Amino acid sequence: MAFNLTRRKFLQTASLAAASVPLSKVVSANTGVTKAPLDPKGTAGDKTVVGGICEMCFWRCQLVGKVRDGRLMKLEGNPKSIDNGIKICARGNAGVKLLYDVDRLKYPMKNVGKRGAPKWKRISWKEALDECGSKLKSTVDNYGAQGICVFPHGASAKYPMHYFERAVGTHNVSEASFFQCRGIRDTAYVATIGKAPGEKVDMPNTKVLFFIGDHLGENVHVSHIKQYIQGLQNGAKLIVADPRFSASAAKADIWVQIKPGTDTAYMLAIMNYLVKNNKYNKAFVEDHTEGFEEFAEAIKGWSLEKAAKECDIPAAQIKEVAEMLAANAPHVAIHPGRHVSWHGNDFQRERALACLTGILGAYYVKGGWVPPKGPKVKGVSWAKEDHGHKYNLNFNHEEDEKIYSNPPPGTPTELIRDCAISGKPYPIKSCVVWGQNPMQTIPNQQKMKDLFNAMDFVMCVDVMPTDVTAWADILLPEASYLERYDYIKKGTQWDLSKEHQQYIAARMPLVPAMFERKDQVYITNEIAKRMGHAEKIPVRTIEEMVDKSLASANLSIEKLKAEDGIHIQPGKDPYGIPEDFSVILYNDDLEDSGHPPAPTYKPVPGNPKGFARLLYGRAPVHTFNRSQNNVWLNNAMPDNPVWVNDEVAAKLGIIDGDTVGFVNSEGVKSRTTTTVKVTPGIRKDCVYMYHGYGSANPLLTTGVGTGVDDQSLITKLAVDPETGCHGMRNNFVKLIKDGKVLDIPA
Amino acid sequence: MSPEEQSEDIARVYRFLSQCMQYPDAEWMDEDFFNVFYSLLGTLGAVNDAVEIKKKIDQAEDPVEDLQVEYTRLFINGVPHVVAPPYGSVYMDKSLQGTFAGNTLAFYRDKGFAMEENADLPDHLIHELEFLSLLTLENDLPGEEEFLTKLFRPWYEKFHPRVTEGAHHPFYRVVVQLIDFFTKEEDKDGFQPNKA
Repeated sequence: MAFNLTRRKFLQTASLAAASVPLSKVVSANTGVTKAPLDPKGTAGDKTVVGGICEMCFWRCQLVGKVRDGRLMKLEGNPKSIDNGIKICARGNAGVKLLYDVDRLKYPMKNVGKRGAPKWKRISWKEALDECGSKLKSTVDNYGAQGICVFPHGASAKYPMHYFERAVGTHNVSEASFFQCRGIRDTAYVATIGKAPGEKVDMPNTKVLFFIGDHLGENVHVSHIKQYIQGLQNGAKLIVADPRFSASAAKADIWVQIKPGTDTAYMLAIMNYLVKNNKYNKAFVEDHTEGFEEFAEAIKGWSLEKAAKECDIPAAQIKEVAEMLAANAPHVAIHPGRHVSWHGNDFQRERALACLTGILGAYYVKGGWVPPKGPKVKGVSWAKEDHGHKYNLNFNHEEDEKIYSNPPPGTPTELIRDCAISGKPYPIKSCVVWGQNPMQTIPNQQKMKDLFNAMDFVMCVDVMPTDVTAWADILLPEASYLERYDYIKKGTQWDLSKEHQQYIAARMPLVPAMFERKDQVYITNEIAKRMGHAEKIPVRTIEEMVDKSLASANLSIEKLKAEDGIHIQPGKDPYGIPEDFSVILYNDDLEDSGHPPAPTYKPVPGNPKGFARLLYGRAPVHTFNRSQNNVWLNNAMPDNPVWVNDEVAAKLGIIDGDTVGFVNSEGVKSRTTTTVKVTPGIRKDCVYMYHGYGSANPLLTTGVGTGVDDQSLITKLAVDPETGCHGMRNNFVKLIKDGKVLDIPA
Repeated sequence: MSPEEQSEDIARVYRFLSQCMQYPDAEWMDEDFFNVFYSLLGTLGAVNDAVEIKKKIDQAEDPVEDLQVEYTRLFINGVPHVVAPPYGSVYMDKSLQGTFAGNTLAFYRDKGFAMEENADLPDHLIHELEFLSLLTLENDLPGEEEFLTKLFRPWYEKFHPRVTEGAHHPFYRVVVQLIDFFTKEEDKDGFQPNKA
């Protein structure tokens, strides 16, 4: 196209006058730029805004924002924090880039194309909410509340999750943070000590740190890392069991290069050694455990030699570990781990960790497992309602008992997927995804696609377009953690041996939400009104929710603001065993449910010939796929090189930096490639990569296709029999170089 | 024509171009709008473009929805990715709300203007065209030239070819060409090179 005039000529002639007059008749009267009084120049308007609570990961450090002209320039730790202090991690810093990410969702959108291959059209909130409300209501009217399944994640998903569970009445809710992450740990500890353990080990004051696969340093949560480093600085010994020379293994006094999946055997041998040699804590066992005799009898077959063979490690090393623990007990920190859904035998491993802590007497003592005594703040949400068990997929009506006896809250993911795809025992026809990316958090992506294709309606709420949002019919943009009120973070000073203090901090926006992004209370309430639940709405706004919650601690948003975002009050001594505390070493209830009452090792599937086990873990500067598109973080770690043992690499003819793809034992190939990291720091029978790369969604202009998506190769499902949670490390791969598939030497 | 009258005319053009970049809505994107649009193209001798757009509009079952889908894909969130976010900072700072956006806002303020509360970001194409319109109405021609040179053309020259290459609908291809035409100074010979 070319115009037959020059601009100058056009502007100087009568043509302009003739053409311009009608133009003014078809423009709207309002403009976004208007006449205003002159502002003084300079940085006088710069502000430090308090009340930030990070959500680049779940640890939720307390922040302040440096704001100029309404723009967030920089994030820092809140100087008043007694948790993370002024420190925040790389991800925390990079929150600025999430806030202003070009690819972020800005307006409600409707998919006028197909699920998985969307054509998006911006629509109004009214149209979006009307559609969500009517479609979800129609599902409930036609199929019942159980016809809706929900995949939530993160602080903002709590309120909508409670709405669908409590007010609407569906059991079909599955949180990845439980079923693909920590749920097994929590329920195993509940079955042992009656409560979820968190990561509440008193590392600064311990004498020995005992890790099973924990790779602190690559897994960065600020106050947790402060505790860990303080412990090491104070002279604590570090024992790390890991097939890989992780960041923690690199600092270890004893690195146990264990065969994947055999950790329970390793701990059973340690415990058996301690029992047989009278090196356990007899006083604690006498006063605070149940079933010791039966427990000792159940594990007695686990000699050092037997475990050594099973775990492929020296018997002398297991003995050295046991001796080190015994010599320093009870001041030993047996870390419960965080992401524990590994092999489908994980409940037993977590039980072993809890029992090992018990026979060492390492509960509620300095350097052991010690829950801090934090302040009480009451949550505010939808009222609980009893919806019975009739449509609970995790309930065997013939036997009148749960299918998985010890599940985390919600319904095991696999039960929901199977029901949604098969339509049995009942139809599930609508899916709500809120802040979760089930395409990359739940194994077997094809099955997830089959679920979406079986739906009448799919809605997603997120801050970013992720792999799952391409499957939505309606996609709603949520205000990010820097733009909204919600989460109330509470806790104590990070080092339990210091002056006892408690803190309460509520998330408050550091800048207003841009575009048409909305918070979870607005979105949920508007949907609830359209589904006929207006009278059940517990709060009108998110500010009201936070204020009501804070009122239970005699605080308010205004008071917190006046206190620089964090309220601090005197704390309580956390040490000392509660009178009613008991460690159930031998659990009869588990036996009644058909599971081993004492921790039991269940072997995991071995490597098929020519394949290596695929292991994955956290990258220090990423929170899985959630931070893939962050420009700063992507620049720091743009891809996820695969760790290959140096001897294996030599036999395969692979050198450091080579580009490879993958095929798994079920024939699934990786969509993308990555580079090779050749190292002696990994066993020959495994390969390792950081999780959360290789996104398939082209809407993530930075993160798409960078590195390899390990989840796409995790197609073989293991399900933990006690909890129904997934195990994701029973998948095996070969490398593909220059189109040639390479067998991994045995 | 007096300088004031000429400024008013130019201001109307900027405002109209700004309107063209608003999210399509049947409330304003009606027959009158398109007739004015075709007329402007005719004045500029771009009849073929007018015919091409008219044909596309007339043949569409829901022309506004077509343009909404196209707008979303080009400027908001698209597949395989958003083609051309209409914000200066994206091209100059590789981010929304970068330093460039701050500099743009500072320029507005220097000239006695500010952003409305519900406005988009200051470096959005719509607001920059609105600002040019307001500045021209005040006969601040040096200010207009300075803004165009320092804060508009540097990013628009990166934005324009993206839309030209990525557009599926002729409407936006022509709109960005019009904006280019009205914001680009000719060289001394009156020649206006078209990089797009």
